[in-house]
Amino acid sequence: MANKPRVGIFDFTGCEGCELNQLNFEDQLLDILEHVEIVEWREAMDGRSEELDIAFVEGALSTPDCIKRIHEIRRKTKVLVALGACAVQGGINALKNIRPIEQVREEVYGQDKYLFPTLPALPLSAVVKVDVNVRGCPMTQLEFLKVFTALVMGKAPIEPGNSVCTECKLKDNECVYEKGMICLGPVTRAGCDAQCPTFGQYCTGCRGLVPEPNVEAMQEILVAHGLSMDDARKKLQLFNANQLEGVS
Amino acid sequence: MARFYLEKGKVAAFIAHLQSQKTVYAPHRKGRNAFAFAPVERPEDVVLDYPRTVSSIKKYFLPAREELLSFNLVENTCAQPAVAPLDAVFLGVHSYDVHAVLKLDHNFVAGNPERNYLTRRQGALIVGVGFTPDRFHFSGSVGIPAGDTTGCDLFLHPCEGGYALEALTPGGEGLLAGFPLPAHAAGLPAAAPFHQHIYVPQAKLKDVLAHGYDSEVWEEEAEKCTSCGTCNLVCPTCYCFDVEDAVDITVTRGSRERHWDGCLLRSFTEVAGGEVFREEPADRQRHRVFRKFKYISDETGEPWCVGCGRCTASCTAGISIVSIVNRLVNDYDAVKA
Repeated sequence: MANKPRVGIFDFTGCEGCELNQLNFEDQLLDILEHVEIVEWREAMDGRSEELDIAFVEGALSTPDCIKRIHEIRRKTKVLVALGACAVQGGINALKNIRPIEQVREEVYGQDKYLFPTLPALPLSAVVKVDVNVRGCPMTQLEFLKVFTALVMGKAPIEPGNSVCTECKLKDNECVYEKGMICLGPVTRAGCDAQCPTFGQYCTGCRGLVPEPNVEAMQEILVAHGLSMDDARKKLQLFNANQLEGVS
Repeated sequence: MARFYLEKGKVAAFIAHLQSQKTVYAPHRKGRNAFAFAPVERPEDVVLDYPRTVSSIKKYFLPAREELLSFNLVENTCAQPAVAPLDAVFLGVHSYDVHAVLKLDHNFVAGNPERNYLTRRQGALIVGVGFTPDRFHFSGSVGIPAGDTTGCDLFLHPCEGGYALEALTPGGEGLLAGFPLPAHAAGLPAAAPFHQHIYVPQAKLKDVLAHGYDSEVWEEEAEKCTSCGTCNLVCPTCYCFDVEDAVDITVTRGSRERHWDGCLLRSFTEVAGGEVFREEPADRQRHRVFRKFKYISDETGEPWCVGCGRCTASCTAGISIVSIVNRLVNDYDAVKA
């Protein structure tokens, strides 16, 4: 390829696990590097770049500085990819949004709180235009590779809209509810190949809610399977506090 | 044809005898409370007394995921993978699941014959087994008793101390060659009753559903439904699919994959340009039920539901297709009586 796409990788509020997951592509990393030129990546290299074809952005926006930086990245980038639950939905950071922000600030920073301005944790899409989502906590490697190859080919990636249940059924899995556990698979976006239910866990909803989710019905199901209404809401809030409040 | 007595203690030897001839697929325990068809490795792992499996044997003829073709973008070539007849025995299949396969045969022969499915179907032998209906089975209401042997080569009728093994086709008899069994002289035990019923025949359901097109039941059920699509994906007569192209990381090779999809899922009804042609969950709920009792049924005169109860047993929201249909029957009778 004569002109490889120039790629930058950025992080905001998050654990950097999604970025680390990119370095974990042990079998594919060299192939990935064949197709693109990584020109900016704080976690792995020095240097800044003025113009990018693709930016992979991890983390939620939670400070005034985040807002400034995401605008800068958007300005110099052709295709902006939100990487992982924090960037796509605000992730578990958004749990702070359900409590008064001053209370949260004081709890974390104590008397030094005035040194650390903070905002409700937002998904990137609440502030700038996001072109593609790679979902999951950490981001789903399978989906990253699909998105990556599509972008390298100049095609629009397809975002899954089905529920995680569909992937369980394709694998002939025993339903998590049959085991006496609860699961958020019915309202969570597929694309992870139902990894957690397949290996004995339940779906926590890390990939975000399906389009037009019936949240009330999901809560009713959780309550019918033994949770209190309050606990049902909390289960759903873990990764989707923003979506439940209409922020996306 | 002949009936033989297969005592419980000989079942494992019988399965081993089948294994010596062909690959055998049979129900196995999967997870804590579920069952699934799988290739038999050890005869003693086979479970013949089970309520229902997660998927039906449909998955062997119409795989959940299937490569339709592979392509090379540099050489500009593509190839279809070889598909071979499944020269296998399906052991321990319930009558409704055999009927479901016969219905899929109809769907895949009509119109454009489905090459991959029809090729795999050739050579498959089916050994049915009776079952005790649980609270979700209602196949008796759609003309499929638990002991119905339609489409089977052999059938295991549960009876005192074992099974009455009925040979139904030359293919089935062939499987028994070299495995001597005494004749089963006694009659068959009375069939266990179903606990769920649709009380009217298909001839009437045709009018009942037409009458119920605008019923409030669709909206009421949709309020409970998360549109997860499980009811479609576990249905043995559902065959809708999506097709997706993917390239590997070299960006030179790729494949076209077909996987199961379902009409209850919102994205199934989303087409090019983002248009969603069946946007309301209530519309999708109605479509699912109409696919089972109206659209195909009006052409064939048969319900396209086999009464396995999977959609209802697997619904975390507790939506019951029998309750929906019976509600429509009551509404119809109230107006027409």
